[in-house]
Amino acid sequence: MKTALQQALELIIGGSGELSNILLVTARVSLTSSLVSLIIGVPIGLLLGSKSFFGRRALVVISRTLMGMPPGVCGLLFYMMFSGVGPFGRYKLLFTVEIMILAQVVLIIPLVVSNMETYVSRISDQVRETARGLGLKGLRVYVLLANESVYQIFTTYLLAFARAVAEVGAVSMVGGAIAWKTNVMTTAIMLYTNRGSFTLGVALGLILMTISLAVNILVTLLQRRLSR
Amino acid sequence: MKKAVSIILALVLCLALFAGCGNSAKPADNASPSDASKPAESETQPEPAKEPEKEPEKEPEKEPEKEPEQEQGVNTVILMEQDDSMINTYTMLAVDPEAPFVDENGNSVEGVAINSEGAKALICWMLSEEGLKLCADYGVAEYGDHLFYLKDDAPKYEGEIAAATPETQTIRLSTTTSVNDSGLLGAVLPVFEKEYGYKVEVQSAGTGKAIAAAKYGNADMILVHAKAKEEEFVEAGYSYVLDGFEAERLSFMYNFFVLCGPSDDPAGVKSCANVLDAFKTIADGKYTFISRGDGSGTHTKELALWPKDLGITEDAASFAAYTDWYVSANTGMGACLVMAEEMGAYILTDKATFLTFQTNNGVM
Repeated sequence: MKTALQQALELIIGGSGELSNILLVTARVSLTSSLVSLIIGVPIGLLLGSKSFFGRRALVVISRTLMGMPPGVCGLLFYMMFSGVGPFGRYKLLFTVEIMILAQVVLIIPLVVSNMETYVSRISDQVRETARGLGLKGLRVYVLLANESVYQIFTTYLLAFARAVAEVGAVSMVGGAIAWKTNVMTTAIMLYTNRGSFTLGVALGLILMTISLAVNILVTLLQRRLSR
Repeated sequence: MKKAVSIILALVLCLALFAGCGNSAKPADNASPSDASKPAESETQPEPAKEPEKEPEKEPEKEPEKEPEQEQGVNTVILMEQDDSMINTYTMLAVDPEAPFVDENGNSVEGVAINSEGAKALICWMLSEEGLKLCADYGVAEYGDHLFYLKDDAPKYEGEIAAATPETQTIRLSTTTSVNDSGLLGAVLPVFEKEYGYKVEVQSAGTGKAIAAAKYGNADMILVHAKAKEEEFVEAGYSYVLDGFEAERLSFMYNFFVLCGPSDDPAGVKSCANVLDAFKTIADGKYTFISRGDGSGTHTKELALWPKDLGITEDAASFAAYTDWYVSANTGMGACLVMAEEMGAYILTDKATFLTFQTNNGVM
């Protein structure tokens, strides 16, 4: 019997085709979904945090509530909508990588929005004053605001990525964990565990943690450099 | 400062305690699969499982402790097999593109995209001489035994098989875990894909889930093993008779369900006349039994084997009174086998998965 670590190393070094495919799909899904939700979520967060308008509080509460949406529920929603019999069935998107990304984006945006809102609402008064002093107006105020919160944006990205890469409920439901196509690290771990091969599950878990570590180191280094 | 030290100490103590419990519970459980040790085991189980998440580096240390246990081999053995009521027949069904699909509110839906040409090609190929032979021979090399047998009256196909076109090349096959986990599809499908240019997307879940996926228009064909559920599926109009075949349900191979349990067989199942008696003995003596509990074919079969007066059904309320011995695991076959091994429990499994489990010394 080999230990989990040995198995993990062997899997990586052996470069088994399926594992590299799983890694690729995982990278594609979680990197895309976290980036897309960052691009959509950060502007919304900036707006919610700095501008006061009617219904702002309600929106903040809604976004905070959605942060706690169980991935399974999100997955089920998309499964129902994109099933052959669902309203969007004709697009034939179920069990594809695209729908997995879409489901994750919906899942992660509230996280990004709430996180940015919390930070921005604290610095917005100061930044607005500075903007007034500099004579900035309109969109430029937001550029300044974004510039001031670069550090936070990186932290938020890490959070988004962590959620995307660790999430299993939504991707397993809409992706179906099809080998060579939509099987990601988390669903593969679930599959192996369901089969009773715990060691292989642990091995994949170790690889997943290592990837997470690498991404975190990379982003943290970037964060340091850019926000100096 | 002092506070920090005491907190760290407490944490270390907790960790040591968890590790200690996890390790000591295992040998004890192997030695005496009595009722008393079971609740304790189920409580300590989650703890070792959590550890790798927190401290992945610890895992290699833990592993060697497990090894001697694995060298002893699997304690769970086949206690009853080849009983007539334990035949496990696998059936293919093509999903009818004209089926009366309904959405979750019961409204009918038109124009659900089903790749019926692709499904037909795969079904025809599986029933051709080549496909049938591959299924029948699977497992002989690896496990020294046939995992699946061909039915004598299996429908056969001898005509042409259409090659893939861009519209028909992706086939969505919804199937049970047993044909996938035993490696059958992994061994057979690539031959078909290579020869005819199709791409088969396999989704493996229990029979219940596989049929549900087809009803939602998310599968082109299903390969399942629960006669009652298949007939229900056909009666609801979701399947149709392919050209050149006589029936919707194309049953082509079988193997046996086997009743497994600890090698010392505390319930005395081995001396029972047939499997129905065996299940009655288990129920009467309240010996721990692991049920799949997931609406799979194996689960459906198991439900049919319990004495009628117990009234065990898929409904969780129906076995609420038996929770002291009836464990509804709600997970895959492999995971259930591992659970049965840990708890020294009885379990109904298909033979293919059990042989895979046994060959790999209980780790799969």
